[in-house]
Amino acid sequence: MTARKTTAETSGGPWHWLMQDTMDGLRRRRALLGYLFLLPTLLGIFVFTAGPVFVSFGLSLFQWNIFKPPDFVGLENFERLLEDRRVIIGLINTLKFTILAVTSQVTIGLILALAVHRINRIWLRYYFRTAFFLPLLMSGASVAVFMGYIFHKEFGPLNYYLTLLGIPQIPWLTSSDLVMISIAIISAWRNMGFTFLIFLGGLSNLSQEVLDAADVDGAQGLRRLWSVTIPLLSPQILFATVTGVIGALQVFDEPYIMTRGGPGNASRTLVMVMYEHAFKHIEFGYGSAIAIVVFLMILVMAIAQMWLWRNRVFYQ
Amino acid sequence: MSADKKMSRRDLLKLAGAGSAGLVMSGLPVKVIAQDMVTIKVQTAGLGDNSLQPVADIQMARNPNVNVEWVVLTGIDHEEVAAKILALVAAGESIDVGYAATEACQLFAGQGLAAPLDDRITGDADQDFWTDFFSDVHPSLVEAMMYEGSLYEPPRDFNAANMYFNTNVLAENGFDVPGPDWTKDDFVEIARGTTKKDDAGNTEVFGYGWTNRLWGSWMPWIFVAGGNLYTEERAPGGEWIWDGYYEGDAAADGRGGGLRWQTPIANSPEVVEALQLVVDLWKEGVTPDIGMGTGQTLTGFYATGKLTMTPAGGFWAGRLANEGMEKGDFDVQLWPAWRNQKHQFGTGGHWLSNTSNAPDEAWDFMKIEVSHEGFQSSIFFNPVIITTPARRSYSQKDAYETTGPANSDVFYDTLDEHPSTAPIPAPPWSNPMTTIFTTYTGFATSGEMEPQQALDEMQAELESLTNREGRKYYQE
Repeated sequence: MTARKTTAETSGGPWHWLMQDTMDGLRRRRALLGYLFLLPTLLGIFVFTAGPVFVSFGLSLFQWNIFKPPDFVGLENFERLLEDRRVIIGLINTLKFTILAVTSQVTIGLILALAVHRINRIWLRYYFRTAFFLPLLMSGASVAVFMGYIFHKEFGPLNYYLTLLGIPQIPWLTSSDLVMISIAIISAWRNMGFTFLIFLGGLSNLSQEVLDAADVDGAQGLRRLWSVTIPLLSPQILFATVTGVIGALQVFDEPYIMTRGGPGNASRTLVMVMYEHAFKHIEFGYGSAIAIVVFLMILVMAIAQMWLWRNRVFYQ
Repeated sequence: MSADKKMSRRDLLKLAGAGSAGLVMSGLPVKVIAQDMVTIKVQTAGLGDNSLQPVADIQMARNPNVNVEWVVLTGIDHEEVAAKILALVAAGESIDVGYAATEACQLFAGQGLAAPLDDRITGDADQDFWTDFFSDVHPSLVEAMMYEGSLYEPPRDFNAANMYFNTNVLAENGFDVPGPDWTKDDFVEIARGTTKKDDAGNTEVFGYGWTNRLWGSWMPWIFVAGGNLYTEERAPGGEWIWDGYYEGDAAADGRGGGLRWQTPIANSPEVVEALQLVVDLWKEGVTPDIGMGTGQTLTGFYATGKLTMTPAGGFWAGRLANEGMEKGDFDVQLWPAWRNQKHQFGTGGHWLSNTSNAPDEAWDFMKIEVSHEGFQSSIFFNPVIITTPARRSYSQKDAYETTGPANSDVFYDTLDEHPSTAPIPAPPWSNPMTTIFTTYTGFATSGEMEPQQALDEMQAELESLTNREGRKYYQE
């Protein structure tokens, strides 16, 4: 009777659908609470990520140098970038870097995780976990600055030790053929801590029953790694690859600080070309057009990876 | 409410209300004073927000109602600082006073971001100040800060590309610091003669080193070879300054309303020859691999005796002293003569924003900075010189007494004794121009392209850029 009265009291108001003392009302209230918790994040995404993407789409149709009002030029910026050699070279360099960096950081991260997972002493495991993760906590800019010294051809410590072994000085950052490989090595060193931790977490959660079954079936060593462990780690591998590719396609800090895109255009990446046009050459419209290309590239590659892995990921 | 009673919620709210009202009341007079305060935002680079504090202190002592706020923007090179200023403006931030070198001054002036200073100078009641200032500053520095007839920055500092020597390395190899009339051939002899290689052919001491950028770099070789990236023409106008403040000064004869760089000539035979020279030295192992940046790495090599010669300006004296080099460990000389001995320089100073909310106070700041008081208190010139003062009287030998170099006279002599000395090519589109310049320099100095091919492609890109950008700036 009381419940009916309460329902009657609240019925008819604007919040009737929410305030009902029924299972539906309760479900709605819980859903609303959930959305309220999500709201700050959604707002953040809209204001700082999705919003700027929409604005970039709009800006890419204009010629704007900030001093004068924007001029609508339609698709002219996109036509220009199809003929812009720096954009095409930047795209090739970015893809080259992505393949090199992501492959290395996933492979090395996995190897390190497998090695550390086998260590029985807890303190040693903590030590390696911290040591491998530390580089990730450093800013990309500071890593680029000190790596620039380490990889310096004439006076860098790396070449110093190599020459002691009788290896001639290697132009890590000043050879067009080597510069992108060097930058990928540096990037992989910095980011492998992330993939390492993901894989280590994955290894710790592998189903013991499946591993025991593999033992009983005689799967040992590489066979067990290839046929059991890696397939079971496939969700982590997919995650590390997708996030790695997304990050690598936006590479900027290391090549900009260490080589400024040189020698020539050998390490000029697409995001660097975008930065140069937007902020150094004050062509915000053209810079936005390049940003849209980067955005679409990331979107397509992320979707492609998910699609390619759709039948190869095993969730336990 | 008695003391032994607990405070009720109602009492607490009353008390809070009364307290808030009291705070608001007590804040009122402060607000009235605050309305009279004028805040100017000054952009600084390099040394951060303390670098200009002495200038601000002088201004605030004279006018307590002025408050100076700093907007610190640092960058690897001037072009990067300029880019950050533009990004700031694009984001809707405003500054009242900004710092810019020649190239960015032309951009800010050309785009109307900076305000012309002509009326402020000619209309200033204290004309003695300006007569004294201009008599102390070489006209080429002033002309480099002019755009289409108007002055946009009173120069505060400059750096001409001179040649620095590690005197210890020279002495070890039986060389003396050459005289001011030395030549390109003398240079090559010293560079080769001081280069040392190990048994494996790796160079241990380099005769010459430089970094890939617009100023310094191989640009001085372009100038002495008789070339340039662009034709150098003069805009009409500027009589107000030359007739008004430089009358009778031979160095001001023939000057105009600023320089115009309109036609690219990057693949002329002189420029090709200059690039060929530095590429050959690199191929011989006389020069280390050419990196980007402002030469911070080279400072280390130089200070540790691994480098004999490098292009630098007065700014290097203080930097080397800070690296621990003693006076006498290094010296400086004019750039060697080739077809001519035309030197290059870049100059810097502060510009007044066209959108300033307090232009008079901002102008006061600029004026104090270039006054004698400003120079005497500036940390750029005290206790050691870390950039060459634009005022001749602060660039004399005694200013370099503690740090060296012994030949410090050459810094201002580069202007006073060499009338052909000119600014680096600095059209308002110098940021994209610099990208093109450093990119193709990189192609040639990494062996990816021959100098002729690199410069032909550089020329094509500069032509395309100039066609796109040039028409926006210079008046017919």
